[in-house]
Amino acid sequence: MTTATDSVELVGEEATGNVARAVLFAAATSATAPVDMVHPLAPNVPITLQTLWVYLAGVVLGPLWAGVAFTLYLLAGLVGLPVFAGGNAGLGVVLGPTGGFLIGFPLAAMTVGAVAHGLDGLTAPDAIPVPRLVLALVAGTAVVYAAGAVGYALVQAIGLVAAVSAVVVPFLPVAGLKIAATVAIARSDAIVAR
Amino acid sequence: MNLRYVAGDTYVHRLDPRSKLFVQAAVAVAAFAHTTPAGLAALTAFVGGVCRLAATPVTASLRSYRAFLPFLVAGPLVEGATVGAPWFVVADAVTPALASYRVLLLLLVSTAYIRTTRVRESRVAIQWLLPGRIGVVLGAGVGFVLRFLPVLRDDLATVRAAMHARLGAERTLRERIRLIGVTGLRRVFRRADRFALALQARCFAWNPTLPVLSPTWRDGPALLVAVALLAWAAV
Repeated sequence: MTTATDSVELVGEEATGNVARAVLFAAATSATAPVDMVHPLAPNVPITLQTLWVYLAGVVLGPLWAGVAFTLYLLAGLVGLPVFAGGNAGLGVVLGPTGGFLIGFPLAAMTVGAVAHGLDGLTAPDAIPVPRLVLALVAGTAVVYAAGAVGYALVQAIGLVAAVSAVVVPFLPVAGLKIAATVAIARSDAIVAR
Repeated sequence: MNLRYVAGDTYVHRLDPRSKLFVQAAVAVAAFAHTTPAGLAALTAFVGGVCRLAATPVTASLRSYRAFLPFLVAGPLVEGATVGAPWFVVADAVTPALASYRVLLLLLVSTAYIRTTRVRESRVAIQWLLPGRIGVVLGAGVGFVLRFLPVLRDDLATVRAAMHARLGAERTLRERIRLIGVTGLRRVFRRADRFALALQARCFAWNPTLPVLSPTWRDGPALLVAVALLAWAAV
């Protein structure tokens, strides 16, 4: 039995708030994973709202803490919490066909945050000019789908073109809808109240 | 639902979580290095043994991953399909089919890990792997996500039920996504503020006292197996 004699080093107020938000974003992403909706044009492609939270995290938390939020999400799934789409978990999923998307989430959230806010300090989400916001979201989308396609091609041992036609093209119209929805959310009072 | 910790007393339950993570990673490396019929047959025998040792039912575990089936089947189909006769080339589909099978094996190994390891043990393993403040934030954060997962799932189900009660399904998809985002975000902020206050009231610290991981003689064979797998992958 050993005794620790270090004094307790408290986490500061601002960092605690950011940790709490990152945790809640990770949990919200996990909570939306099993919820899918049906697209009127493509009923066989389930839409989960995970990427919506990737966008929102980047816009609201900024590059650093959005990255933390989705690293947490990934780790939570790795150690076995049922946070991935369809309530799945584990290293097998991350190394599976859709694993590229999961690895792309933290990168995309950081990209959205970095383009929307820049690297020094945060801007209020409703003060970010719309063109810059849209640019940030498109950049994030590009990152997440590039990672997803490369991951799918590597894991399934198929060509990049086949991978893009299988996992990117069917989802692009929905990604457009999510970007439009995110812009509307960033302009709503849900965020202004902060 | 098979993807959660199941209390037990098997050999795998008693292993140090770090050894289990190491074996899991070694299996993945070996599976990617030997995606051949012979290599995967050998790994199938190994994974079968692991599942037996960990008291993990194979068919029931695979059933819980059925959401993956479309992706696993799509790989070989897309690659084997051709435009025009003969429409489908079996030889082209073999490699993606082997890859799909490899995914199944990895899913089984990770199911065995999840069913035999407490989240708390995994947290300590994370903080051992990532020292310093990053490890504290990520290690503690995983526990917090576990705490809030059911709460937010409930929140979002409430939001959806409220939308349906007001004929939300008649609205456009963009509008529905926006509504879920706005209401979800409000809940997230409200809970985050209260949670941050609660953390501070309970002295959320960079240096908390954690359970001690102590490897035993049991970890020896597991580590040897992992090293052997890595050596086989390097051949």
